[in-house]
Amino acid sequence: MALSGMRGLSVFISDIRNCQNKEQERLRVDKELGNIRTRFKNEKGLSPYEKKKYVWKMLYIYMLGYDVDFGHTETVSLISAPKYPEKQVGYIVTSCILNENHDFLRMVINTVRNDIIGRNETFQCLALTMVGNIGGREFAESLAPDVQKLLISSSCRPLVRKKAALCLLRLYRKNPDVVNIEGWSDRMTQLLDERDFGVLTSVMSLFVALVSNNTDAYWNCLPKCVKILERLTRNQDIPQEYTYYGIPSPWLQVKTMRALQYFPAIEDPNIRRSLFEVLQRILMGTDVVKNVNKNNASHAVLFEALALVMHLDAEKEMMSQCENMSRMLLVIDVQDIIKRHQAQIVTSLKDPDISIRRRALDLLYGMCDVSNAKDIVEELLQYLSTAEFAMREELALKAAILAEKFAPDLSWYVDVILQLIDKAGDFVSDDIWYRVVQFVTNNEDLQPYAAAKAREYLDKPALHETMVKVSAYLLGEYSHLLIRRPGCSPKEIFAIINEKLATVSTATIPILLSTFAKILMHSQPADPELQDQIWLIFRKYESYIDVEIQQRAVEYFALSKKGAALMDILAEMPKFPERQSSLLKKAEDTEIDTAEQSAIKIRAQQQTSNALVVTDQPPRPMERRPLAWGNLPFLLFHGPFLFTFECLMQDSASPDHSITPENGVISKSVSEAPASDLLVDLLGPLAIEGPPAPAVSGEQTSFPGLNATPSPVDALALAILSDQSTGVQPIGNIDERFHALCLKDSGVLYEDPYIQIGVKAEWRGHHGRLVLFLGNKNTASLSSVKALILPPAHLKMELSLVPDTIPPRAQVQCPLVVMNLHASRDVGALDLSYKFEATLVNVKLRLPAVLNKFLQPIQMTAEEFFPQWKALAGPPLKLQEVVRGVKPMLLPEMADLFASLRFAVTPGLDVNPNNLVATTSFYSETTHAVLCLVRVETDPTDRTQLRLTPPLLSDRLKELIKDHMVGLPMAPPPQPPSVAVASDDPGAILAGLL
Amino acid sequence: MIRAVIVMSTEGKSRLARFYDYQPPEKQQELIRRLYGVLSSRPEGVSNFAQVEAIFGPDTRMVYKHYATLYFVFVFDSSENELAMLDLIQVFVETLDKCFKNVCELDIVFNFNKMHSILDEIVFGGQVLETSSDEVLKAVEEITRLEKSASSGGPLPKSVVGRLSR
Repeated sequence: MALSGMRGLSVFISDIRNCQNKEQERLRVDKELGNIRTRFKNEKGLSPYEKKKYVWKMLYIYMLGYDVDFGHTETVSLISAPKYPEKQVGYIVTSCILNENHDFLRMVINTVRNDIIGRNETFQCLALTMVGNIGGREFAESLAPDVQKLLISSSCRPLVRKKAALCLLRLYRKNPDVVNIEGWSDRMTQLLDERDFGVLTSVMSLFVALVSNNTDAYWNCLPKCVKILERLTRNQDIPQEYTYYGIPSPWLQVKTMRALQYFPAIEDPNIRRSLFEVLQRILMGTDVVKNVNKNNASHAVLFEALALVMHLDAEKEMMSQCENMSRMLLVIDVQDIIKRHQAQIVTSLKDPDISIRRRALDLLYGMCDVSNAKDIVEELLQYLSTAEFAMREELALKAAILAEKFAPDLSWYVDVILQLIDKAGDFVSDDIWYRVVQFVTNNEDLQPYAAAKAREYLDKPALHETMVKVSAYLLGEYSHLLIRRPGCSPKEIFAIINEKLATVSTATIPILLSTFAKILMHSQPADPELQDQIWLIFRKYESYIDVEIQQRAVEYFALSKKGAALMDILAEMPKFPERQSSLLKKAEDTEIDTAEQSAIKIRAQQQTSNALVVTDQPPRPMERRPLAWGNLPFLLFHGPFLFTFECLMQDSASPDHSITPENGVISKSVSEAPASDLLVDLLGPLAIEGPPAPAVSGEQTSFPGLNATPSPVDALALAILSDQSTGVQPIGNIDERFHALCLKDSGVLYEDPYIQIGVKAEWRGHHGRLVLFLGNKNTASLSSVKALILPPAHLKMELSLVPDTIPPRAQVQCPLVVMNLHASRDVGALDLSYKFEATLVNVKLRLPAVLNKFLQPIQMTAEEFFPQWKALAGPPLKLQEVVRGVKPMLLPEMADLFASLRFAVTPGLDVNPNNLVATTSFYSETTHAVLCLVRVETDPTDRTQLRLTPPLLSDRLKELIKDHMVGLPMAPPPQPPSVAVASDDPGAILAGLL
Repeated sequence: MIRAVIVMSTEGKSRLARFYDYQPPEKQQELIRRLYGVLSSRPEGVSNFAQVEAIFGPDTRMVYKHYATLYFVFVFDSSENELAMLDLIQVFVETLDKCFKNVCELDIVFNFNKMHSILDEIVFGGQVLETSSDEVLKAVEEITRLEKSASSGGPLPKSVVGRLSR
């Protein structure tokens, strides 16, 4: 054992070690501190050696965790000592105990500088080390040029230069201005030629810092980096001392690959090829070996290489069509390599170390694809029962996502989820079972299977409550499909579910009640005995304390009295709109780990199974949802107004034959039928009195000069549309088409000689689902089709994949999911481009996901309306404006306009026959349902003026209505009340209004 | 960037603590204490990685190696490769071993000043300075020579010289 070389220090350390307890230690330390303090006070008698010894002691005491609040002057002053040992202590201890802003540092800045520019290399090293360890802004400003000089000096030893490189890096971090980019990119290429590996390693660290700040300036260094990697991986001319367990400097390899990850893409084919060779060599050449250290080092390199491969691949989409195939192959190779280790990764799930288990889970999740999903998900399911609690929820979520994403067939997916619930019900979030319900509902083939499975689980003892929920739900909907199977008669199904009723929590009871109602419905005419049993249950819960349960019991009881009519009221659940898996979103939201991110990245690139893509169904008759099913998360019923929601499944067939292009005007035949039906459907059940709303028909007349003075919305549109780069002329007026679609839910959004884009939309609360129909009108393919959604801040929009090519005369459907976050009148846009032969066409189109689409008309009686209306006093809740210049229109027309804006208009609600009252509710994610009331007071003698009072939804709604009410300036001048043209042709008026 | 290099005994006593982003002394002690909590609760034969974001803040990682009675710990951020850090610990320890000829905890306790010199030749301002333990050794030997040559004329008590040569 060697000693510190200072007896006093050794004795002190030894004393401390001999202390029996913390108290003794503290006493010994206090004694020493007192001693040092006295000696320092009387500095004259202190030799440099003693000073050095005391400063070391101070550092030791500091390390033990005691406050050393004196002696800083003495420490710092040692830096100026002429001899090495004292200077060394001064520098080391200063850099340990002072921070960069300490005043004392200013005292020595000149000494430090003199040491750096001086001739003594050992002093240079000490000074550089201290500056590198604590150097702050002030050091950066005064020392950077000198440090730079040392780095590029040819006469300096590598020992000094490598420190200068890292010192400069530190100073650069404190103050990036100290490195002038202009000069440095060339200098850097020279520095990267460095032969000494110590210097080169440091220079590479400096390079990473520089390039991370400004990639563009250092493109010329890229070939050098690839060269360095080549040299390392080929083990060419690598000095022995830089070979670590047989691997040529793994640190330099890693750093160099880090640097390369800052370059977005590598254009030069030669460099790219060289780099791919290098990466391939690393990926193929890494094997597991016995020696732990060698293993670590080679895997450090391997992982960095993988990160680089992924980085290069991630840029794939950005690159042109002519994709370098070797890269693709490379990526596939990597995946194969990972897959080779699947068995080992699975074993790692049982590793005693939780960090390894976690990584293994992440890795399995990341490497899963269609080919291995079954194996991996089954492993995860098995692992569920032994995994620690902390991991189970994540594990369940991941298994569910993988099962959904890569299911080879749907029944397997159902099996997996049910197993998941069975084995780890406590860790299965509601999202997971909602999702399986969605899939079963949307896939008819799956329904008997799922119901049978649910039935099987019900036989098991000690069922998890989530399993009760999902089984009851599925059997309620689909048990009639099993009717011929043993044990599946309505009575038996009822009996087995009823057994669970006593054991479940209040959250589950409503679901069971719905199930019973559904059983009754499916078994109409009901067996009297069964009916009595079910009624008994409904009656029992009629006075239940939980409101949800009570309401269901009351409603179901009342409804089930209706006998056969129950069939119509409680039909099967309609299909759910396609949506991004909330599970996947959840997983993405919760992950922050970078490894995970890269795993997600890989996954995004993989082909997903098509098994779960909801198939397009033939049009179905209208279905009614049961009144109370608020337990599922998709519908948000708030406030006192419950209303039935109609699911619109009206099919307008393909836009190809529903709409004929005719010189800029959509002809009459077209979408009139679906559009008007649509409104009838929407408003019919809401019992609007008066004539069925013809509202918006597809028929439109272009007003002369319609676009002469654009409204604010138009101005926005023009801004969006201004950069249309194509020479291809659109057919029809894009603005008109857009405005028409603002008032109806299907029609043509855009058309030109090659493509027609139709839109069909369904709106439900703050959710919307648009389907874009991209139709190729030609006998040749459209290629390079790209559709990008530019959503405004208040909408979440997600477009499903758009195929790259559209075959001749074919039509593709691209669902677009919209979610409204809050009220805004901004409009989202679709940036669409495609290539037809040599013509590249690019258009930007506004999407008709506008404010009024998130309205749901609400019918109100006078008793309901007036208290609400009166409760609202003044702005901002209640706004009033006298609107002038209103398009002449009759009250019924105005009512129609409001109806197509999704308001419910109730004639007679206002005593004044010249007034119009409209009610609706606005949905957004932040607000759910907000009640909106509008009263329009018209003056029959002057139809150009009216008072508009829309309370609650601030002025956005008001402006929206105003835009639709106010005639554009070039519209015909105000006319007397009876406007012949208008009453003949309401569609024209509306078109004109818009 | 490497945030900290810490050597501590399996009893939780720090033997070397170097923070490359300044931490006030109380904070250092707290970090070391909490770090020890993590290390001491890890069983034998588990991996060299543990999560420390709760202690050192976001984007921090930690690798450690356990040699006899000592933990060697590197705390760093995502700009460093974890396995490469593990290798660096190995280089550090191999260098100590060469310096002290079969290093043991006592060497490290009584030569904590030399530990600083050695570490300064491997990690510099939170960056990897040198990865070849031969090169580190050369630099440290040079420092030792300088210390000796300068102090031979100094008032080094004879008793200490005697002890050194033992």
